[in-house]
Amino acid sequence: MTAMTVNAAAPAHARRRLTAQGFRALVGMHLKLMRREPGVFVMIVLPVVLLIIFGVIPGTKTPEADLGGRSVLDVYLPTVAAMVPLMVACTGLPSAMASFRERNTLRRFSVSPVPPGGMLAALVAVLSVFAALGVLLILLLGTLVFGAKTPSNIGAVVSSFVLGFTAVIAIGMIPAAIATSNSMANGMGIPFMILNFFFAGLYVPIAQMPHVMQTIGEYVPFGAVMDAWSGTGALWQHLAVLAGYTVLGGVASAKLFRWE
Amino acid sequence: MPVIEVTNLHKEYGRVTAVDDVSFAVEPGEIFGILGPNGAGKTTTVECISGLRAPDGGSVRVLGLNPVADRDELHQTVGVQLQEAGLPDKLKVHEVMRLYASFYRDPADVDGLLRRLGLAGKADARYKKLSGGQKQRLAIALALIGNPRVVILDELTTGLDPHARRETWGLVEQVRAAGVTVLLVTHFMEEAERLCDRLALIDRGRVVAVDTPAGLAERTGAGQRMRFRPSVPIEDAELLALPEVDSVTRHGAQFELSGNAQLTQAVTALLARRQIVAEGLRVEQASLDDAFITLTAAKEN
Repeated sequence: MTAMTVNAAAPAHARRRLTAQGFRALVGMHLKLMRREPGVFVMIVLPVVLLIIFGVIPGTKTPEADLGGRSVLDVYLPTVAAMVPLMVACTGLPSAMASFRERNTLRRFSVSPVPPGGMLAALVAVLSVFAALGVLLILLLGTLVFGAKTPSNIGAVVSSFVLGFTAVIAIGMIPAAIATSNSMANGMGIPFMILNFFFAGLYVPIAQMPHVMQTIGEYVPFGAVMDAWSGTGALWQHLAVLAGYTVLGGVASAKLFRWE
Repeated sequence: MPVIEVTNLHKEYGRVTAVDDVSFAVEPGEIFGILGPNGAGKTTTVECISGLRAPDGGSVRVLGLNPVADRDELHQTVGVQLQEAGLPDKLKVHEVMRLYASFYRDPADVDGLLRRLGLAGKADARYKKLSGGQKQRLAIALALIGNPRVVILDELTTGLDPHARRETWGLVEQVRAAGVTVLLVTHFMEEAERLCDRLALIDRGRVVAVDTPAGLAERTGAGQRMRFRPSVPIEDAELLALPEVDSVTRHGAQFELSGNAQLTQAVTALLARRQIVAEGLRVEQASLDDAFITLTAAKEN
């Protein structure tokens, strides 16, 4: 399944003089490294376990007035799903790049015909597919197995999740661009991840936050994604916020990027 | 036409001048060495030649290409082994090789190359598990995987034990025998002396001399030095009478003589005429070591 996605992604990078064959080989490398680093799968296992716990606790499926008539599970499902792209973008990507940089792997790549950017592109492609599969798994589990309500506007949800992931990947690219060690990468990525967890309602449901916090949350990437899911506020505004983060992260990381 | 042509290369990092003024040309099929003390600017020079850094002044041409502007094409035909360039610990040797092979238009045969470099038995081992010598051999293999016309090897044998070092030298000679031009950066005299056809001696960002290892050694003007115990006593004056002898010193029964390049020949001829046996004879040639010290120290004043 992954290989198919990869084939589809290859031509987009051919312009960068990275051959489709080279790109496939790099994707293969990242997949192998991922498989040999089982810690990566915590990013999917953790939210799945969390969802299962919510799913089996009695009473999480009854509609509640202070959650606007939705059940606890309805409210938490997108929040739990958001954990995957957030962990991938804020810790997975930066720490992978930091360890490549720390070991001078990027320096080795920079004297081969593959631009080191090709390696980064392959990494982002693999992580994107990984995050998408994780989100999909959690949403299917939540709706089909535990019976959470599907959101009314699927188009808004899909586009906000895609844009939300793009936004946090762009922000995660900043530590990925400069961190020279794993701890430095995590030191930069984790606070941003926690901030997003918070405004995605992981610790306190968004509906129970004070109004001012809810307003701030609209301007945090995954706060905006959650609003798009629940249909709160103007969709275009949420998408604009996400696009803004993408531009900000993209420009900053491109300016700061160092291969060594 | 030279394979690599460096003309008045200049590179600064902030206020620090790493390379002041370096020029040399590498001819096809030779092993050309860049020799110099630590911090002389060797690695920066190589990084400019490899397209990793843009020079601040002067020009660099490799196979007629501009390494920075034509970087993609350069890396198809020039193999580079860099000092301190790692690989992911968890990749296996053959996986790394196949990965890199896929980047090139005309890659070498992976299995054949691994066999040539004595890594066939390690094809399935993870990078992390390799010894220092094996990692260096893999680095050479990766520099050769694209069937390059030129390979650049930076501090290839630093950190290797003497056995692994000798093995690696053998590999470099094989590479050249296959018609590949080699640019070798080193600070080991022995390595330079053994491998290089010609050398550029670099000190403090400048080229001090470009010559063959023997030519560099001769430049120091130092001749020979010999030590022996004569089987029959001989007068100092008799030895000093030879025009080739500059000085005679005695340490007990042992004579120490210094003189020009023909010293040994002249003294042994004299001893033979007098039917004296030179016991425990030792001769020291002026070496690249001496040249290195003399030439790099000369600039200090």
